[in-house]
Amino acid sequence: MREKITSLVEAAELVRDNDVVALQNMATQAAPMALVRELIRQQKRGLGLVVLVGGMAVDWLAAAGAINRLIGAAVTMEQFGLCQQYRRAVEDGRIRVEELSETLLNARLGAGARNLPFLPTRGAIGTDLIALNPDNLKLIEDPFGGHQVLACRALVPDVALVHAHRADRYGNVQSEPTILWPDIGIMPKAAKHVIVTTEKIVDTEVLRRNPDRTILPGFIVDAVVEVPYGAHPTSLFPYYSYDSDFHRAWAEAARDDEKAASFMDRYVRSPATQQEYLEAAGGTTMLERLEYREQRG
Amino acid sequence: MSPEWQSSPPATNYGVDELMITTLADLFHNDDQVCNGMASFIPVAAFMLARLTHAPELIWLASAAGLDPRPERVPASTLEAPLWRDSVMYLEQYGDFWNYALNGRWIEKFCVGAAQLDQYGNANNSVIGDDYHAPKVRLPGTAGLADMGSIGKKLYYWNPDHSQRSMVEKVDFISAAGYLDGGDARKRLGLEGGPQMVISNLAVMDFHPESKKMRVQSLHPGVTVDKVQDATGFELLMPDGAIPETRPPSKAQVKLIREVIDPDDMRKRGFRTD
Repeated sequence: MREKITSLVEAAELVRDNDVVALQNMATQAAPMALVRELIRQQKRGLGLVVLVGGMAVDWLAAAGAINRLIGAAVTMEQFGLCQQYRRAVEDGRIRVEELSETLLNARLGAGARNLPFLPTRGAIGTDLIALNPDNLKLIEDPFGGHQVLACRALVPDVALVHAHRADRYGNVQSEPTILWPDIGIMPKAAKHVIVTTEKIVDTEVLRRNPDRTILPGFIVDAVVEVPYGAHPTSLFPYYSYDSDFHRAWAEAARDDEKAASFMDRYVRSPATQQEYLEAAGGTTMLERLEYREQRG
Repeated sequence: MSPEWQSSPPATNYGVDELMITTLADLFHNDDQVCNGMASFIPVAAFMLARLTHAPELIWLASAAGLDPRPERVPASTLEAPLWRDSVMYLEQYGDFWNYALNGRWIEKFCVGAAQLDQYGNANNSVIGDDYHAPKVRLPGTAGLADMGSIGKKLYYWNPDHSQRSMVEKVDFISAAGYLDGGDARKRLGLEGGPQMVISNLAVMDFHPESKKMRVQSLHPGVTVDKVQDATGFELLMPDGAIPETRPPSKAQVKLIREVIDPDDMRKRGFRTD
């Protein structure tokens, strides 16, 4: 097996301008936020994003002018409201949205993963999503005589970015028991390249104790980077919760371009390392607050 | 749970949030499987209430993934821990949840909100405005709703803000298929199921069996026909005969909601306070 360990800077350099980037991020969950910050520091331009439900990561990339298109099912920070910077960019025509429902996105990625031209689904028939997207969605006859189905064209992202609990130096990725979304279930398998950030790089022997918890094999992974709290301010169940204060502060700042820019300077552009970022975001006091207890969210 | 809820008298002191929860809870039974999406405090509270009262065997998939969870109370997010606390199983979404959801046998009912609903039950969570690529408001997006609208599910919409803004003659964008332009339009596309009811802060509505136009089923206590019609951007059909009043929650139901299910008042989010 080949070693995949690298730095955040080098990992982000694997993402090129104009790439289609599949991003793990379920509203307030499990986004590779440290990697997203590094993409912004490297001033990426022209990226397309693929998200199931994008949250703050999408808002930051929109605020930084890094993205001009998005393929996804939703963008929202749930209880913290709409992503205001993203929203404004879409309303101004700076970001073009290819909206897909979940089974449409899954079908496009599933076809990408399996090297098929398309996969069909019955989802979204009758909606306006279809007429909007003639390049990628077509109603076709069931060759076996049933009702029409919707063919969803294969989507092969250039790179998938994920964050996980642990990995070894070869890029084998393991998860603690948690809910696994299509972000990990299909996106990395459809993408040409995969970059993994992880809370901890462990010896392969650790993975061998629970092979059923290994969710990605190292042979599909290009780079692995150890980044403790790499999903902050999103959650990584069962290690840490989402940071409510941080989300609220961003949601407030994002309503105003100047405040958003100064927020991004303070938390995204200025901190040179993950350690500096975590200090700026509240340090150990904040991190202790995010530990899962029987807290109520 | 003590059986006292069965004989409990109607509450006199309750909120419309509690009325919507009890009305929804009545729709879910022991043989149902239900799931919830984001920011779904009213459905989650309704599932929890049903399980504590008439439907202890109701199967609930928290966040459409955590099987038979036991959250202590309604948390601040319905897409995050601790909603899925003590789950029997985590359903992996891509390969697992959608197998069960797309298969016609399970998860027959889906309870959801929409920014706009029209007279035929078409829903919009995508954009406000005529130009999709330069909208007046970019909404979150359809997520799984566009799927649920086309795969034979019975849809139950909840709307905490019944107004001409949210109840429109024609949605700006069909994010989820209702009865399209009415009549048999839905059937002609081969779509089963569809919207069954709309439970708002003013009334309960269903759809006329032939025209598929939205129709008042019952008015909440104190709400007049004029009031609900004025708050609606299209002409609501009325039922034949006298219009029933929505059954108010019982005292025991209100107590359960306030003290056991949702002591942090998460259910009040999304309701206007004025």
